Amino acid sequence: MSLVEDARLKAKNALEEGLVDGVLALARVEDEPYPYVFEDAAETGMLELEPKWLLAKLAMNILRSSRQDYRLGIICRGCDERALNELSKRNQFDPARLHVIGLACSAEQARICLCTKPYPASIALGEKSEGFDPREDERARMFLSDDPGTRMQHWAAELSRCIKCYGCRNSCPICVCEPCKLEDDLWVRRGEIPADMVSYHLIRAFHLSDTCVACGGCTDACPVNIPLMLLQVAMRETLANNYGYEAGTDLERLSPVLSDLTIEPCPPLMEPGWLDSLKVNHET
Amino acid sequence: MKRDFVKTICPYCGTGCGFILQVEDGKAIRTLPDRKHPVAKGTLCIKGWAAHEFIHHPDRLTRPLLKKNGEFQEISWEEAIDLAAKKLKEAAESYGPDAVAGLSSAKCTNEENYLFQKLIRAGFKTNNVDHCARLCHGPTAAAMAQALGSGAMTNSISDFTGAECIIIFGSNAAETHPIIMGEIYKAKDHGATLIVVDPRRTEVAANADIHLQINSGTDIPLINGMMRYILDQGLEARDFINERTEAFDALDAYLSGWSVEEASDESGIAAEEIARVSEIYSRAQEASIVFCMGITQHACGTANVFAICNLAMLCGHVGKPHSGICPLRGQNNVQGACDLGALPNVYPGYQTVADANILRKFEDAWGRELSPTPGMTVTEIIGSAGKKIRALYIMAENPVLSDPNQSHVIDSLHKLDFLIVQDIFLTETAKLADLVLPGACYAEKTGTFTNTERRIQLLRKAVEPPGDARDDFTILCMMGKALGLDYPYADPGEVMDEVASLTPIMGGVHFDRLGSAGLQWPCPEDTHPGTRFLHEGRFSRGKGLFVVPGYTPPKEMPDETYPYTLITGRMFSHYHTGTMTRRSHFLHREVDKPFVEISPADAHSLGIRDGDAIRVSTRRGSISTNAKITSRVRKGSIFAPFHFREAPANALTIEELDPISKIPEFKACAARMEKE
Repeated sequence: MSLVEDARLKAKNALEEGLVDGVLALARVEDEPYPYVFEDAAETGMLELEPKWLLAKLAMNILRSSRQDYRLGIICRGCDERALNELSKRNQFDPARLHVIGLACSAEQARICLCTKPYPASIALGEKSEGFDPREDERARMFLSDDPGTRMQHWAAELSRCIKCYGCRNSCPICVCEPCKLEDDLWVRRGEIPADMVSYHLIRAFHLSDTCVACGGCTDACPVNIPLMLLQVAMRETLANNYGYEAGTDLERLSPVLSDLTIEPCPPLMEPGWLDSLKVNHET
Repeated sequence: MKRDFVKTICPYCGTGCGFILQVEDGKAIRTLPDRKHPVAKGTLCIKGWAAHEFIHHPDRLTRPLLKKNGEFQEISWEEAIDLAAKKLKEAAESYGPDAVAGLSSAKCTNEENYLFQKLIRAGFKTNNVDHCARLCHGPTAAAMAQALGSGAMTNSISDFTGAECIIIFGSNAAETHPIIMGEIYKAKDHGATLIVVDPRRTEVAANADIHLQINSGTDIPLINGMMRYILDQGLEARDFINERTEAFDALDAYLSGWSVEEASDESGIAAEEIARVSEIYSRAQEASIVFCMGITQHACGTANVFAICNLAMLCGHVGKPHSGICPLRGQNNVQGACDLGALPNVYPGYQTVADANILRKFEDAWGRELSPTPGMTVTEIIGSAGKKIRALYIMAENPVLSDPNQSHVIDSLHKLDFLIVQDIFLTETAKLADLVLPGACYAEKTGTFTNTERRIQLLRKAVEPPGDARDDFTILCMMGKALGLDYPYADPGEVMDEVASLTPIMGGVHFDRLGSAGLQWPCPEDTHPGTRFLHEGRFSRGKGLFVVPGYTPPKEMPDETYPYTLITGRMFSHYHTGTMTRRSHFLHREVDKPFVEISPADAHSLGIRDGDAIRVSTRRGSISTNAKITSRVRKGSIFAPFHFREAPANALTIEELDPISKIPEFKACAARMEKE
């Protein structure tokens, strides 16, 4: 049985056994797949797994607009699973209403996404492959350079192309604040492009510093190809190295950013690697 | 709860991005990107992300409205259609067929445009049908058809990557065609040198390798200077010129009257810069030119496009992958409205009305006698309203805000015996109508749009029109039957089948072939895969024609009383007359009031600060707006977007028309301003 046939069967079974009222996945209704909620087991033959298509935010929206006892199954990848964990941890929906059928990504997909953990905690479909270190990628290395001047130069050039579509925010599974800081006149000037590097892009990045699951939704949605996900790498590494914390992997533990630092395991607090950016002359 | 995801096409610009409407209980609640769409590839601009927001707006028109004693009253569809048909027929019977005119719509589908032009042509035996392409790429269609044989973008959007050089003339694609801009940046990242020619330091110009900040309206001198340099250095593509073009000698003789220095003086670009960009463009193996309203919206707009065709052919940069002439079309379906014959001189597929064989073909197909005389253009129709034109049927256009010299447009429309406006909102134009017909928006209909790269794409109906509004296909079928025409169509797919039978360039286009990727015309047969780029090996007209461009500087130059050059255009969060975007919460939030861009130097000398209320005036009119101080405009220039009904930029613009295409000079007139 192929992977996609296995997925169809698992979705069909979940529906037939009454485990869920619907399964969110991709469907090939015509020639190309797009998101679909399967509620009829007979339709699951249309279910598809490719391409990578983030569904976590959609799942949250569906749970919010459905009746309270509606249970949703979702076929999702590791990044989506971690995003769903973050959302439920932040009380965006009741995790008991969600049934995750986890899909492991291929090594090739991990390379495209620059993904360090291309699999969910519990794998129902596919086989676990090794993660891909973003620093192995030539383009990514420019944005993660150890030299702050080089790094700033690349980021400034890329971000000057921003057309302010808000796609990075709209497609981010974790960006759910109401109201959004990007719509606050105190921070972001309306009607101007490019959106400001500091007040738009860095506020957005810092807002996600302890929740970003590195799904790459922001990068995928960017019409001008800014590698936005890489803005989070340094912060994710800092949380991992200093606190042993990774967003979306632990349903119980609170983010260290929300703690008072005394109860957290904080070995001699190290200066995070990205602080040197603040010492750069910004007049590039 | 009934939940659905519907793949459809964005209703804003001509890029033609696909997206997915998330529908719950009959309401479109969200727009989602489509990762598998061939153009959008899972991205959207700010307008695309907000494209669901106006659909269920409470201002939507829901019933036919008849004006009685200056007030609109709701009437039934039967009454409305009977009255519309009766009034149009009366005008034709009393004053002759050419007393009736129709403005079709670049917002409506191909099928609706086909039915509309057929209604006017077969219903009244007149060719008085046109649409807003006149106000954007009329010159492109005219010049490229004459020089190359086809008025359309020669290459595809995904084809920019691979070019060594891209020159953008007068397009701020980062704001007006953002998804195409992404493709151009991708080409730059793959090694293309990006050159931008624009009097404003736009977002595109700021991110280019070279920005030539020319004096407004001096594109022809600049291009002439480039061609002069290329010929002087022997960089022209001799083989291409000899084998694939004609009339080069005439151009050569014309260019002998130009020098690089003279071009430099006129355009304000240093001779060394002209030489530098000429070297880069002519030496590139593959190079593309992109252009937009900065080229066309001038009284010499057609000549500007001839100049661009000349430059491309001189260097052999057309008819190849990554090498072409790429006008970026404005409206979502302005390409399609042109393709389907919503133009006064051609039937669908650019088949000329003056050709006896073609006339006979359409007479046979439509069963009516047709007129062999080209009809009036938009600008002529509005100008003749109440005189030669007695009854006008406008489908989804808003000339009160989109056409030049607003007070003149309003006066003209008032003089009509009968004005029918079919739209989704009570626009500034609809308010002047005698009869208003409530139509459907993109999300409420099936049909096709054709994007700027000739890609015919399927719209899928996601929700029902509000109240008693009907989709425009249905309204046009009712109108056709009321006029005694044979309108037997069960659905828009049958209209496309009729189009295919009469239109060689779309002969192989049928709904069941379109799928997710659509088809790029020319697609002459049922098995034809569509065409990625035009003019391969042979131009559509045979040989490429060099045409000497007749240069005229802008008609109204700044003087003592009106010392600034006013440029009009659009900005990233709004679209055209704002009918849809200003009713979208998110887009309105981004920019909620009108503004005029002023250079820091001019603002300083007038004592104007950012955000100040100012009055901008020209010889046509005057508006109250707000100052936005920015170095995007140069000293002496100001820029006004035309989206704002409370400060309509077209109250200011001049009706000076290009003699060939009749496009108005939206990009240059003389203005003055003062603090309020």
